[in-house]
Amino acid sequence: MRTPDRPVADGGAGVGGPAPGRDEVVAMLAGLDGRSARDVPEGIESMELAWLLHQVEQRYGARLELDEDQYGRMTTIDGAVDVLREAIGAA
Amino acid sequence: MAGPEWVDEILLRGPDAQVCLHVDGPVDRAALRRMVAERRVRLEAAGLRAGGSLVLRLPPSLAYVANLLAGWRIGAQVALLDHRLTPFEVDAALARLAPQVVVAPGVVRGNPLRAFADVEETVTPHPGRPAATPHAVIQLSSGSTGPSKVIGRTAADLIAEVDRYTRIDGVPLPGERIVVLASMVHVLGLVGALLYGLHAGVRIRPPERLTGDGVLAAVAAETSPATVLGVPFHIGLLASVAEPPRLPQLKRMTTGGELVPAATATAFLDKYGVPLGNMWGMTEVGVIATDLFGAHRPALTPAPGLAVVERAGELLVSRPESPYVGLSDPTRWSDGWLRTRDAGVVDPATGLVTVKGRLDSQVSVGGLKVDLTEVEATLTALPGVEAAVVLHDDVITGYVQLATGASVDAVRAGLAERLAGYKRPRQLHVLAAMPRTTTGKLVRDRSVLRQAQREGR
Repeated sequence: MRTPDRPVADGGAGVGGPAPGRDEVVAMLAGLDGRSARDVPEGIESMELAWLLHQVEQRYGARLELDEDQYGRMTTIDGAVDVLREAIGAA
Repeated sequence: MAGPEWVDEILLRGPDAQVCLHVDGPVDRAALRRMVAERRVRLEAAGLRAGGSLVLRLPPSLAYVANLLAGWRIGAQVALLDHRLTPFEVDAALARLAPQVVVAPGVVRGNPLRAFADVEETVTPHPGRPAATPHAVIQLSSGSTGPSKVIGRTAADLIAEVDRYTRIDGVPLPGERIVVLASMVHVLGLVGALLYGLHAGVRIRPPERLTGDGVLAAVAAETSPATVLGVPFHIGLLASVAEPPRLPQLKRMTTGGELVPAATATAFLDKYGVPLGNMWGMTEVGVIATDLFGAHRPALTPAPGLAVVERAGELLVSRPESPYVGLSDPTRWSDGWLRTRDAGVVDPATGLVTVKGRLDSQVSVGGLKVDLTEVEATLTALPGVEAAVVLHDDVITGYVQLATGASVDAVRAGLAERLAGYKRPRQLHVLAAMPRTTTGKLVRDRSVLRQAQREGR
């Protein structure tokens, strides 16, 4: 298993490349139950958030350390893309 | 009827130094007893007495555990409200339940991925009534007709369920651990983890984070055998861990709440090679039937002391008294049999039960039961909504026809006010006109509604 013990600092460059864009986030959410990307709702619920962060952390091999404000903004796909860009870094 | 000392005798008894919970550190029985005693003083200071009524509106947390046990130890009736309910829903529930004391979250620290929240609670007297029934716990179900149903269980009934667990082959054993992912506010986590664990001396350990790595880290944190208890979503979460470490402590994963897709079960078994147990239960009864070794998937063996029969395609379970508070409803319970509203069959030769799915409009969202008629009634009642149909199409999906000048954003805001997030439609499609039958009834066929949505794009 990739160790999840290396926190990614806010704004820092991730070890797995640039932060996922909207299409990649949608694809990760679609992978939860195999639905098509067009059927992925904009809203993100708590279990979907757990799934999404798990997928991102696996891909980047690091644990995301988010604050309460960042978690609070990850309730939509756009919000999640923004937060992941802050936490992992842009291309 | 068990007196309030059942809390001491069935749940809290044990060596002072025995660690019974692990939440940000070990909590031994002496510490838990102190927490319960402290909460008891606070609740009594707020006016709670034996025979009184208490509402807990807390996320799973040490504060929740301590207040629940303290309320019971006082001899009060404790109603559990999901902390995700909106203020609108909470107000309706408080009006219905009329509790004398309400415990709510004051300060909640941490993040939404924590399985146990770090809560400082507020304890507030409320102008209510003493308990009207001898039930120890009260829960509200998402109602299929009109307001939600009030479900009550006595202390004796909870003790009987704990006893059932002790007699089911494959449950965690004394000295082992339960890594609990299911909410302890609902019956699977409440009785299957919290009450059984405290009774049997099984350490209860929620993970620090509800991610795949977080769950595995909780398993790996101690050497004692661990059973992971969750809902089917969690099977997929663990199955998606790319390269899980070797975990000799992992003894079993058990889930309840909804049917497990065969592909999900296979993916988990391939990756972890430990039994994947399955449970069927309901708020009204608790655990009804299990297959903790995954030996009969999808069939289940009725739990000791319970009988399950099939009548006209529906499964019925033995229950000596109606679990519903208020007027008895013979369409739900009569003559010692509770209608589960689950379709299924009972094998006459083996007694094995196979659940085939719901017969009504109830769906499961992450293990939480949601009645689609409640969602549809709420949506239809919103200002600006002319007509609406809500169905389950992978996710809760609403189709809505709006009045002139009404906006979908206003409808979403109205729903957010009135329904907890897990009950709200994840997809909301606005149609120029709802498809109707020749007699003017709303069409509920999902393919017709999907087609109408595509044509309207």
